[in-house]
Amino acid sequence: MTHLTRRSFVGTAALLAAPALIRPSFAADTVKLGCLFSSSGTMANLEGRLNHVVRMAADELNGRGGVNGRQIEVVTSDPASDWPLYAQVGRQMLQQDKVAALFGCWTSVSRKSVLPVVEQNDGLLFYPLHFEGDENSKNVVYMNSPPASSVLPAVDYLMGQDGVGAKRFFMIGSDYVWPRTINKQLKGYWKSKGIPESAWREEYVPFGFSNFQTLVNQVRSFASQPGGQAIVVLTVVGSSIPDFLREFANQGISATDVPILGLDMVEADLEGLDTGKLVGHLNCWAYLQAAKGERNQKFLADWAAYVKAKNVPFSADTVIDPMVSAYDSVHLWALAAAKAGSFAVPEVRKAFAGLSFDDPSGYTLTMTGENNYVSRGVFIGSVNEKRGFDVLWQSPNAPKPVPFSPYG
Amino acid sequence: MADPKRSLLRAVLALCWLGLWAVPSSAAAFDRAAFAQDLCGDGAAQVRGAEDLVKAGGVLPADDLAYAGRLLGALAERRLTCPADGALLLDRPGAPEGHDALTSAVRPVADARAPVLGLRQRAAVETARGVVALLTGPDPATRGAGLSVVERRVATVPAAVLDRARDAETDAGLKATIAGLAQAAALSSPDPARRRAAIAAVAASPSGAAEARLTALKSDPAYTADPAFRAALDAGLSRVTRAVTIGDGLAVLYNGLSFASILFMAAAGLAIIFGLMGVINLAQGEFIMLGAYATYGVQEAFRRLAPGLLDLYLVAAIPVAFLAVALVGIVVEALILRHLYRRPLMSLLATWAVSLFLVNLVRVTVGTQNLQFIMPAYVSGGVPLYADFVVTWNRLFAIGFAAATVVLTLLILRRTPLGLDIRAVTQNRDMAACLGLPTRRVDRLAFGLGSGLAGLAGVALCPIYSVNPGMGSGFIVDSFMVVVLGGVGSLLGTLVAALGIGGANVLIEPISGAVAAKVIVLVGIILFLQRRPEGLFAVRRRR
Repeated sequence: MTHLTRRSFVGTAALLAAPALIRPSFAADTVKLGCLFSSSGTMANLEGRLNHVVRMAADELNGRGGVNGRQIEVVTSDPASDWPLYAQVGRQMLQQDKVAALFGCWTSVSRKSVLPVVEQNDGLLFYPLHFEGDENSKNVVYMNSPPASSVLPAVDYLMGQDGVGAKRFFMIGSDYVWPRTINKQLKGYWKSKGIPESAWREEYVPFGFSNFQTLVNQVRSFASQPGGQAIVVLTVVGSSIPDFLREFANQGISATDVPILGLDMVEADLEGLDTGKLVGHLNCWAYLQAAKGERNQKFLADWAAYVKAKNVPFSADTVIDPMVSAYDSVHLWALAAAKAGSFAVPEVRKAFAGLSFDDPSGYTLTMTGENNYVSRGVFIGSVNEKRGFDVLWQSPNAPKPVPFSPYG
Repeated sequence: MADPKRSLLRAVLALCWLGLWAVPSSAAAFDRAAFAQDLCGDGAAQVRGAEDLVKAGGVLPADDLAYAGRLLGALAERRLTCPADGALLLDRPGAPEGHDALTSAVRPVADARAPVLGLRQRAAVETARGVVALLTGPDPATRGAGLSVVERRVATVPAAVLDRARDAETDAGLKATIAGLAQAAALSSPDPARRRAAIAAVAASPSGAAEARLTALKSDPAYTADPAFRAALDAGLSRVTRAVTIGDGLAVLYNGLSFASILFMAAAGLAIIFGLMGVINLAQGEFIMLGAYATYGVQEAFRRLAPGLLDLYLVAAIPVAFLAVALVGIVVEALILRHLYRRPLMSLLATWAVSLFLVNLVRVTVGTQNLQFIMPAYVSGGVPLYADFVVTWNRLFAIGFAAATVVLTLLILRRTPLGLDIRAVTQNRDMAACLGLPTRRVDRLAFGLGSGLAGLAGVALCPIYSVNPGMGSGFIVDSFMVVVLGGVGSLLGTLVAALGIGGANVLIEPISGAVAAKVIVLVGIILFLQRRPEGLFAVRRRR
């Protein structure tokens, strides 16, 4: 063993500590795509998967000869779940790496911090999450659904006869823009239906909060008050989701007593949980792993093969909506770039009008050119024993997205 | 108001019940094929099938109930498939062949639909399964489980079912519970005496739901008209309200204790490391994470080598996690920290580097996903203790664990030669060295002890939090807060600070929300430290 001097050790330690923000690689005749997904911090377990799925989609396109005769090169980064860092890394990618498009962000707060950067540099950001709407930038492609075509159908389902005829609502969210806006719109929606203000409660917790005992006690006493069936509308994110579900199940409240509508709940959040006591809780997305059809089977098989071939540190048999949305983003961008015959953002943006793509969910994604929103299908899922979701309901077709909510 | 239709129905049901005794074969009106068809139908048909079964539950023969129970169970577990002719029961979801519901003949599954239950259907099916279990369960445990389901939805279960279950019950305890439930179900009975008995029965098992049921009766006309009813309701209501208040108080106490135990477990190791050596160890959270991963390793070893003893892996993980993480701590101390004792800022940076290194090491070798733990019965679920107060086993495990850690650590510090050395070095390092204490060795052992305690925290936190490489970062701020508030170097101070912060959080949270609670507690700590910078319990020392 070599003797380790103090100085050499501090040098090594400093090297270890220095975060490698961007890992570029250089090659001629390529076009670069940038990823803004964290591989550390509270969002790592979810966002980390999206880097790989963007790579997988790029490999697929490269296998077919690339786009406009150029191979795609994917540049990844680690904004470390630190919202301002997304803007900084995004700017670096647009100005130094000259990426043709950015794919990134999970939380709305990170998207809001990147927004001025893509607008100043006239870049293009593909955002793969369903979100609160009320935003329409020509520099962001909203790949997933605004509330009118995801949250409201699910709440309607729970309030209707097929659901539980919900009359009272306990909203629990992480304290940031997405939960607060969603809840504001929901309250407006309920008001428009003549539901009194006393029928709901709203509570927020800090990011990464995990001590849900008091809140679950409050849900129980809220549900036992008269006035009709109560449900929980859960908009906490990240590691708070499994922690909340665990406490809920341990206190013996089942989905048939008080169902949870987990708006950010995906298959990956159920990893590590005993879902036997959670069966029946709901989520709503534009894709569920249990979606029927050959396109989904092929996507699942491709992902499993990719995980195995590239030794990806994520589960080979868990696929979540944002992964599929990120995959769709790359393909939509490639279709638009091919249609425009150029990688210049204004040209690509013009080409969006009338694009369509058959994605793994079984629906056909379409863009109108009126705005940068994408029409997606709606799924309502129900937690099963095998840490997945069964499809409880799905929309007959892909509804036209409504960017601005009339309710909030 | 009396309900003539309902009493008529009761009378008919009672007649059927008598008829069943007289001529058992005449009651076989249950149409098995129609029931299977209902369960295979759309949502409305499923609800109808399950609700009809519950309604007829008082009179149906046991073999029909058992048949219905098999189908309902299969439906709930997605083992029921519905080909065009009849229904098939599978042994497991997705099996290639199944038993015909009616004939039990084995048939292949050919592209059959397996219905998914919506929430309404699930509730109806759950109630029906509860009724079947209550009436036909072979042992008291099964019947008790059925009863607890029926209890939650007693409004939808006819009295005849409860009467039949009570009459058939052999277990004295269960019989009394069923009788109480049957009595409580008579809240809207026309007979005033039975109604008062029902109020007393509802009040006998207090909960928020019972309170709501009784409060609703205040608008009943009998409340103003009948003084006896009014007295009974007021007495029952005050009893329930008092019990619910006490239950809520107990819940606050328990929540505070449980949060405090988590804070203490996370901070105990730091109290020793920071207190003894003044090393600001930013890798403490990652040591907790390593403890949790060591627990996972023990679980996997048990799964391979001794699957029969799998439930005991958490106990076996205690020494393993302690030793493994203590070893990591000693290695870190020997390789890095001992070179940096005179430069606290450097040691802060170095331990931060260690934390980044450990997170990424685990991420690369194990992956970033949440680890899958088997939760033995002693750390999953909970038991309703009093009114709405539920004791959850995983939190109780953490509380017990923290208590044991306090006692053991205090014993080590106060009663062993190592503890004596550690205290001597803490109080006056130079004097201790002059008296011949090997302070470097003491440092190393103390660092190992502090890291080992973090490993133990990892074991205690497995049943409560999700285990992934990033889990440690959430603890580091809280644990420094606890240690600084408690007074650097004082384990008792750490304990008191953990109890104080945990309790304050839980008390403030219902009033102002979790976000404000965190802010208020933090501001409180800052103000306290302004007045008393040395913390709650300062160890007197010379530098």
